[in-house]
Amino acid sequence: MSARKPLLDALVSMLTPRDVLVSCLGANARYLPHMKVPSPVFALCDSMGAAIPLALGMALQRPDRHVIALEGDGSLLMSPNVLATVAAARPANLGILLWVNGRYESSGGQALPPAPVDWAGLARAAGIRHVESARDVAGLRATFPNARSAGEPAVLVVEVAFDPAEAIPPYSERPEEIRARFRID
Amino acid sequence: MTGARQIVAGLESAGVTLVASVPDTWIGKLVEEVRRSSAIRVVDVAREEEAVAVACGANLAGGRGAVLIQNAGLLNCGGILAGLVELYRLPCFFLVSFRGDSRDPIYYHEPKGRVTEATLQAWRLRYAIADRGRDLVAQVRQGVEAAAESASPYVLLISGEDLA
Repeated sequence: MSARKPLLDALVSMLTPRDVLVSCLGANARYLPHMKVPSPVFALCDSMGAAIPLALGMALQRPDRHVIALEGDGSLLMSPNVLATVAAARPANLGILLWVNGRYESSGGQALPPAPVDWAGLARAAGIRHVESARDVAGLRATFPNARSAGEPAVLVVEVAFDPAEAIPPYSERPEEIRARFRID
Repeated sequence: MTGARQIVAGLESAGVTLVASVPDTWIGKLVEEVRRSSAIRVVDVAREEEAVAVACGANLAGGRGAVLIQNAGLLNCGGILAGLVELYRLPCFFLVSFRGDSRDPIYYHEPKGRVTEATLQAWRLRYAIADRGRDLVAQVRQGVEAAAESASPYVLLISGEDLA
């Protein structure tokens, strides 16, 4: 299992200006403003569970772009219904990266309810056919291109190590700044 | 022209490209009319907060999204209204079935009817109750435009009899 930052670095290195990135609240949203990302980024700082449906709306509106939602396991556990919504809408251009660390990292690292959720199985059970898992940077590099070229909704379950000592930068952009800068050409 | 058709004509004339919806009896009838539109895509979602985010995503991507839900679903949406729509100043137009008001014949909706307007006021959302005696097309179009111009939510409450 890999630390978060190398995984995020690997993901960003595979993005192009044709991609659109939507991040749930938390560590990814806090790292992204400090990284050179070639695609538009809409980062949430609140509203758990909104990243996937927000990305779905973008993907349906702009079928010429590939939209990637970064979601956490805590957020998805709160609203797993969205997987069925995505499966029903069947956008060809939506990929979901589910970051699984078993923690509510943003609020202090509290553990999720300790149920052995099979995240890949949950996605498949909701009707999403393209589901893969990655445990490290090599796995992410191998599976992400498949998700992008799947031609149907894809879920990548990414196992990420929880490090309570990780120096995650604070939020550095105001929501109105994120909104003003976000543009899909 | 039926009220449902007028409402859809209002959405079309306002440039709405996508409607995200969870049905109830009234909204279900309205959505069937939306499905006949060649200009608007219907996205069937599983829960009302999703509808809000889907509509906002369409807006952020250059389209115009709208949310069609029951007032019970609107009551679910306090968190996402505060944490997404208001926080990021996004336009979001809602068409909401006003169950439990004096025109609703179903008794068990009454508790929702009692708190709907009070909740909208507490959440400081702009809203109107559709008036079947006036131009419904214009009321819908003005609601969509009000949300867009103010980059904030706007709720138009409708009754079953508005759809006839």
